[in-house]
Amino acid sequence: MTPRQSSGRRLVPAYLATGGRARPSRNTLDRLTLLHSVGMPITSEVRPEEHRILELLQPGALSLAEVAAHLHLPVSVVKVLVADLVDAGRLHARVPIPEAEQFDRQILERVLDGLRSLKS
Amino acid sequence: MTSIPEALLWCLSAGTAAAVVLAAFSVRASGQRKALRARLAAAEEQNSATLHSNTELSARLRATEAEIRHLAGTRLPDLTMALAHPHVPVHGLLDARFAGSETDEALGAVLEQVSEAITKERTRVDAAAQSALRGATTTIQALLYRLQTALQEMQHRYDDPEIAQALLNADFLNEQALRRVQATGVVCGAWPGLTREDSYLAELVVGAMSRLRGYERVQISNQLRDPIAVVARAVEPIAITVTELLANALHHSHRELPVTITLQQGNRGASVIIDDYGVGMHDDEIKAAMELLAGDGDLLLTQLGDPPRSGFAAAGQLVRQYGFGVHVEPSPYGGVRAVVYIPGDPLLTVLDESAQPMSVMAPLPHRSGMTERSSSALPTGAAPSSAASSAGQPTPAPAAPAAPAAPAAPAVHASYDAPAAEGELPRRRRRKPVSEAEQAPRTEPIPPRSPEETGSRWAALQRGTETGRAAAQSEPPRSPEGNAQS
Repeated sequence: MTPRQSSGRRLVPAYLATGGRARPSRNTLDRLTLLHSVGMPITSEVRPEEHRILELLQPGALSLAEVAAHLHLPVSVVKVLVADLVDAGRLHARVPIPEAEQFDRQILERVLDGLRSLKS
Repeated sequence: MTSIPEALLWCLSAGTAAAVVLAAFSVRASGQRKALRARLAAAEEQNSATLHSNTELSARLRATEAEIRHLAGTRLPDLTMALAHPHVPVHGLLDARFAGSETDEALGAVLEQVSEAITKERTRVDAAAQSALRGATTTIQALLYRLQTALQEMQHRYDDPEIAQALLNADFLNEQALRRVQATGVVCGAWPGLTREDSYLAELVVGAMSRLRGYERVQISNQLRDPIAVVARAVEPIAITVTELLANALHHSHRELPVTITLQQGNRGASVIIDDYGVGMHDDEIKAAMELLAGDGDLLLTQLGDPPRSGFAAAGQLVRQYGFGVHVEPSPYGGVRAVVYIPGDPLLTVLDESAQPMSVMAPLPHRSGMTERSSSALPTGAAPSSAASSAGQPTPAPAAPAAPAAPAAPAVHASYDAPAAEGELPRRRRRKPVSEAEQAPRTEPIPPRSPEETGSRWAALQRGTETGRAAAQSEPPRSPEGNAQS
């Protein structure tokens, strides 16, 4: 994850996006949280960085990590922005689709034990 | 033997002769006496004249001594004071009668010599102080840049809110330290210490703002028609100048008052206009500031006060070196208005927003932002209201109202589509933004599908196939599933 594609030193620091806050108002967000726009009209009180997020999500959903990469911002900062937008009702955040369920090792072992005991 | 008459005759003749001689003598003596008396008179006169001139001379001597004492006691201290503070008057001669005399010239020469010596020595000492500071700031600045890089990397690495918060705070502190060190260095004749790439003016101003405590009070209104950028060599100098002017504005206005920045595009350049609503500056303060901002003449650290107020001085140095302009005047709102004018010819350029995207924190241009929103994103009903709100916003300088909107619209769309078009390094984007023409007829009925929706449809298809295998042919229940998901 490169901070910025151009080689130069950043001109605008990340803390400016949130006014220095890094603690999101909700702690349910993580890198894989899927975001999609509610489709509310973007009014003028939306700050530029929020505007960009909503614009990015206009065509479809993206994960929070992807949004962060598009904005060249740290994930922690994007979390704060996204949490604000979710609070304002402009975004839906969805828990990531869980990974395929792993089999429970204990059950498998007990089944195996059961089979063995049947066999013997 | 002689006779008596003969003897008498002899006696008489001798007496006559003696009388004659005596008479002659007496005549001569009286002449001499007269001469002597005259000489005495002359001598007395001379003597009195000498005495007179003597008293005159001694008076003069005393006056000269007094003049010299005056020089040592009053005029030289005045001079040293006046060299440090130009408004202090230097006393003239004690006795006006000396004016134009040799004494005056001699004393004048002393003053001149002393002032020359003091000036030379002061310049030398100041230059030594400046070079010491310059050396220190350059090193510290380089170290702070390294710290900045480290902090930035850590910000991208750690997501934990507590750590991230600490990192952001440290980053902000580092920015403030950098700003101080950089401005001091520039005052001492160092170069800004960093060459950037061509950068958007809006981005530059936001970056400058981020270096100051109280940046949340700054409100930026972007009136630029085009994506104007500043050429690489002038980016950091202009950023420093804007930072220092903003720092003044923030410092001299109440903590709850805003400071507004207007970015204005003109025919031959662009301006950054900084207005505060604070205490303002006196006429002589403005005059002093303008002198510093003119950037001509050597700058002495000792002129800047203790601690040195480096803001205007740094701006003045940069103005002289890079050729933009800064003007300070009493603002119509009672505070101060500072204008940074950047001439278009050597210092501005226009960048391609698709090749070099603007920072997300950069303020959106008012009018083109509105056109973009109303044309592509908003439902039709909302467009008139947003257009009305944009019309209601105050525009400080009367730019042509219709002209800006026309060139802005195509530029925005070009930037919107272009990232997908350039294909070397594909960046993931879920869907290409739908163009207006396609979107217009079907905005309401079919919203673009989200991945979950697609997933659910495939799931539905699978379930359908399974049930189809089990029983007879049946249609997968498409529409209810889709609606449930959206």
